[in-house]
Amino acid sequence: MLRERISDEFDLKKQADELGVKVWQTPSFLFIIMGIIIIGAMTGVYVASISYDSPEVLIVSESIVVILLLAIGNAIITTVEQVAKANKMKTEFVSIASHQLKTPISELKWQIELLLAKFSEGLSGRQTEIINEIAHSGEKMGRLVNDLLDVARIDQGQLALAKDKVDFCDLVDDAVEAQKVFAKTMNVELVSSRSVGKIMVLADKRRMGVVLDNLISNAIKYIDTKGKVEVFVENNDGFAQVCIRDNGVGIPKNEQDDVSKKFFRSNNSIKNKTDGTGLGLYIAKNIVEQSGGKLWFKSVENVGSEFYFSIPTATNKKK
Amino acid sequence: MEKKKLLVIEDDIVLQKALEDYLSAEGFEVKTAGDGETGVNMAMDENPDLILLDIVLPKKDGYTVLQEVRADEKTKNIPIVLLTNLGSISDVEKALELGATTYLVKADYKLEEVTAKIKDLLKIK
Repeated sequence: MLRERISDEFDLKKQADELGVKVWQTPSFLFIIMGIIIIGAMTGVYVASISYDSPEVLIVSESIVVILLLAIGNAIITTVEQVAKANKMKTEFVSIASHQLKTPISELKWQIELLLAKFSEGLSGRQTEIINEIAHSGEKMGRLVNDLLDVARIDQGQLALAKDKVDFCDLVDDAVEAQKVFAKTMNVELVSSRSVGKIMVLADKRRMGVVLDNLISNAIKYIDTKGKVEVFVENNDGFAQVCIRDNGVGIPKNEQDDVSKKFFRSNNSIKNKTDGTGLGLYIAKNIVEQSGGKLWFKSVENVGSEFYFSIPTATNKKK
Repeated sequence: MEKKKLLVIEDDIVLQKALEDYLSAEGFEVKTAGDGETGVNMAMDENPDLILLDIVLPKKDGYTVLQEVRADEKTKNIPIVLLTNLGSISDVEKALELGATTYLVKADYKLEEVTAKIKDLLKIK
């Protein structure tokens, strides 16, 4: 662990790539230079003080050291500022680009819906099928843009969550129902059960749907061959809790700390067979946490995973 | 039953037309305005049962329209559904504070859902 950390610190090229700065601007490099200068300067001052018995020389050499250190400190601060600024600009760019994309997506979706719902007379079966495919692509694009926008909002602390009073069990039922077709095409058995009849929660209905969709579709996606996904709902001491269990490929132990990081995708056996942006879990975790709950998981590679999340019930006063 | 009158204030012609066609087919009388100023005038003249209002509009933006409609005795009680693709905390809070009844994010809602929301607000089965 420590060795990894140290070798990471010294991998200046990688660090420069990650931060988007030049190698000489990386904080680690500047710190190393600073260390060398301090040692060099102390030696210099020491040599000066024993070679020349003159306070002037001492003052001048010490001044040079201070100036050098200030210059390096300044370079470090500049780099950090530059990285922070670039990061902010990137978030703003994503936010603006997604907003711009939302208008044509709304147009596309509403036009198709209008066509199918009110002007479908005379369309052949094949024509309707094609239009449905287009609608499907539009939906996918919409979801992708929503994900990007949600990430930008999370990063800016601007994610607005509605407070709808809803039955948590209904949300789970809807999400399970919506994934039935996908499960079938992936040859996965999807079942759900619960220990309670109703759990009222105050949460953003649409976004809770996003969280559940993400977790359930992930469970289905990461099963290599025929498998089973079980969804279980319970009321756990004032919290509505759901567990999504699969017997899929699982998450390698060394990656478990990273799965809910932005853009992270596990290097497991079927990574290249499934598409994904690596944003789903990051978004899910943030939505759950902002709703006053938490999200966690247990996973064993090649055995399966259990993903849990819980949010306070509407009557929970402790939250 | 008499047709309920809706006013759609939306500058995107494609979206405006889609709303108009769909809602007309659903049995509403639909009036449209393509900018904020026309929207406010039409709200006063037509006295609609409900207003669908975009935020980003030419001449007067949605927030201004909201304020002006709410300030007039004749129109202050008309339910206003904000149609937007914004949707960050500050936008939503601002709109609700200024008196919007509710808001919908356009790219996330189907016309069917928009219609259901309108019927719900107008208490139509």
